[in-house]
Amino acid sequence: MGDFLLLLTGSINPYYLQIIVNIGIGIILALGLNVITGLTGQLSLGHAAFMSIGAFTSALLTIKLGMPFFANLVLTGFITAGVAALIGLPILRLTGDYLAICTLGFAEIVKVVFLNLDITNKALGLTVPSAITAVPMPIVVWLVVLLTIICVTFIHSSRFGRALMAVRGDEIAAEAMGINVTLYKVQSFAIGAFLAGVGGGLYAHFMGYINPSDFGFLKSVDILSMIVLGGLGSITGSVIGASILSAAPEFLRFMASYRMLVYGGLLVCMMIFRPNGLMGGINFTSLVLRTLGRKPHLKTIMEQKTAETSGPCNGDT
Amino acid sequence: MSFKKSTVLLLSAVLALSVTAGCKKKEGAPADAPKAAADTIKIGFLGALTGDVAMFGKPTLEGMKMAAEELNAAGGVLGKKIEIVEADNRGDKQEGASVTQKLISRDNVIAIVGDPTTGITKVAAPIAQKAQVVLLSAGATGPGVVENGDFIFRNTLLDSVAIPACIDFFANDLKYKKVAIITSDNNDYSVGFSQTFRDAAKGKGITIVADEKIKDGDKDFSGQVTNIKAKKPDVIFFSGYYTEGALIMKEARKQGVKANMFGGDGLFSPEFIKLGGSAVEGSMSALGFSPEQASPETAKFIESFKKKFADQLPGLFDAQGYDGVMMIADAIKRANSADPKVFKAAVAQTKNFKGVSGTITIRDNREPIKSPLCLLAVKDGKFALKAKVPVKMD
Repeated sequence: MGDFLLLLTGSINPYYLQIIVNIGIGIILALGLNVITGLTGQLSLGHAAFMSIGAFTSALLTIKLGMPFFANLVLTGFITAGVAALIGLPILRLTGDYLAICTLGFAEIVKVVFLNLDITNKALGLTVPSAITAVPMPIVVWLVVLLTIICVTFIHSSRFGRALMAVRGDEIAAEAMGINVTLYKVQSFAIGAFLAGVGGGLYAHFMGYINPSDFGFLKSVDILSMIVLGGLGSITGSVIGASILSAAPEFLRFMASYRMLVYGGLLVCMMIFRPNGLMGGINFTSLVLRTLGRKPHLKTIMEQKTAETSGPCNGDT
Repeated sequence: MSFKKSTVLLLSAVLALSVTAGCKKKEGAPADAPKAAADTIKIGFLGALTGDVAMFGKPTLEGMKMAAEELNAAGGVLGKKIEIVEADNRGDKQEGASVTQKLISRDNVIAIVGDPTTGITKVAAPIAQKAQVVLLSAGATGPGVVENGDFIFRNTLLDSVAIPACIDFFANDLKYKKVAIITSDNNDYSVGFSQTFRDAAKGKGITIVADEKIKDGDKDFSGQVTNIKAKKPDVIFFSGYYTEGALIMKEARKQGVKANMFGGDGLFSPEFIKLGGSAVEGSMSALGFSPEQASPETAKFIESFKKKFADQLPGLFDAQGYDGVMMIADAIKRANSADPKVFKAAVAQTKNFKGVSGTITIRDNREPIKSPLCLLAVKDGKFALKAKVPVKMD
């Protein structure tokens, strides 16, 4: 099995494989933040901090304990989620800008802690050995991506997900409906952090070298741009946004020095023409069903409706 | 959900652009590829051309291009032309990894020169090692680079070699006894450099009287300088970059500290003097290259550099980029093969290579040793050569 997978990944050009893995890691991080910011409506500017906690935890689990990679990732996720829950309890009582600033501060603390701990090799960073698994890294990353998409989709359409959306809509109204707002917020924070931690663990083992400075404010903003570009709260949007922004620097490479200019220009155009994001306000499932002809098109529904309402009138005359 | 007309137009324009761009590449590639493989030797450049660390990447590339031009003018290597393939990595690790993959698997380079920074070199090295392509970093000074495998080299003067030579010079020639260390603890280069200094200072008759910490981006250093002042050091060793260095010296002079500053190539920048003014007069920077008192090789390099870049003097990274390509060309000639699996052994055997940035020998542990070390001091608002410190070649 392992040999077959190795052959499979070996047949793809390593350069494309690199981009594909970058996209995969981007998607995991974006989906995590999407649960916090998109679904629950809590603006977090510290997602990269959870990613760095995950990256260092996972790297240390491999280095110090030699833990198999899958167990390592799960444990990393839970540790990161635990930290997030601890942090979340006090700061999630804040809302909006105040929460954003708090998460920003938290991210800075995490960076400084890692810069000063002996176990993380201070500012010199850690060289991470290869992951302890027979499955090639790209396959692992995309397995995790698929699992993440499935889980997040379930969360979206569950009672829990609807509660989160209620919190996003109006906290007071949600509380009045019997939703424990703080508890739900902390849970969503922990889920988002879990995914960030797993993403960080994958990043650490794929890149082979991590440094606390890699996970700064800019990285958090990168992840935030992915979900804003894709459309806040939309899973498809997060996937598309993460794919575009992770791959864009490479696909725009033919423009040489102009590429980051074009990259920025594309973001600006996007926000002007589709302020809700690429997939904002679009229900992906019904879009697919409609194109397959399994669900009536919006136009036909509208026509039917007008026919129904105008129907009796016509009959009268 | 109806798209606006303008949106559709824009999107289709972007799509059309990317499709045509993609096609162009595809049309060009198959026609060129076999031909290119036959009569050129491709060497990749890994480094930043934009972003915060472009100041290291750009000159490295300039030096590499100069080396390629000179080699090609002299008939190439093994009858083949050298071609430099460049790609920008913005100083970003994830992009550094992608660029390394691209150079190896799309451009089929036989060797990569770069990255000038340690962090990205550490990301690129395992990739090059796995793909069996020679990677020669022209600038990475930190630990943990050549440990990645037998395809990985570098041609910089290592801190662990330079600092002991410097300390000997301080203790014996300048009679310094007490040193104050300042480290920027969110800068990996600085943390590593200070540690090297502490290790090297042991048993050399030099005492470390103060060990202060700052952060890159700090502006106020009064606290640290006050602590240092009380200890009356002969010299202040600062392992960080020029901006903080200049500001520390300004504060030190304000508080009446007489000692000068000493640092690595991080201090070597015109900005250091511009920011520090008279306060940095006498401050020293140790680095592997100076255009003054040039060896014949270096003099020739400086002359052709001046011709090419309107009378500018070459810097350390220009020289190291140039030497990087020349060392690889030299190894290819000696091995009589452009196959990285073959000529990597020749690179490892480089001995007393007369580079423009000094004489380079690759030791058994694949780490380079280079002589001499240039100690520059600010004199009348300019960096001037204070001493060429010989490094023991073994």
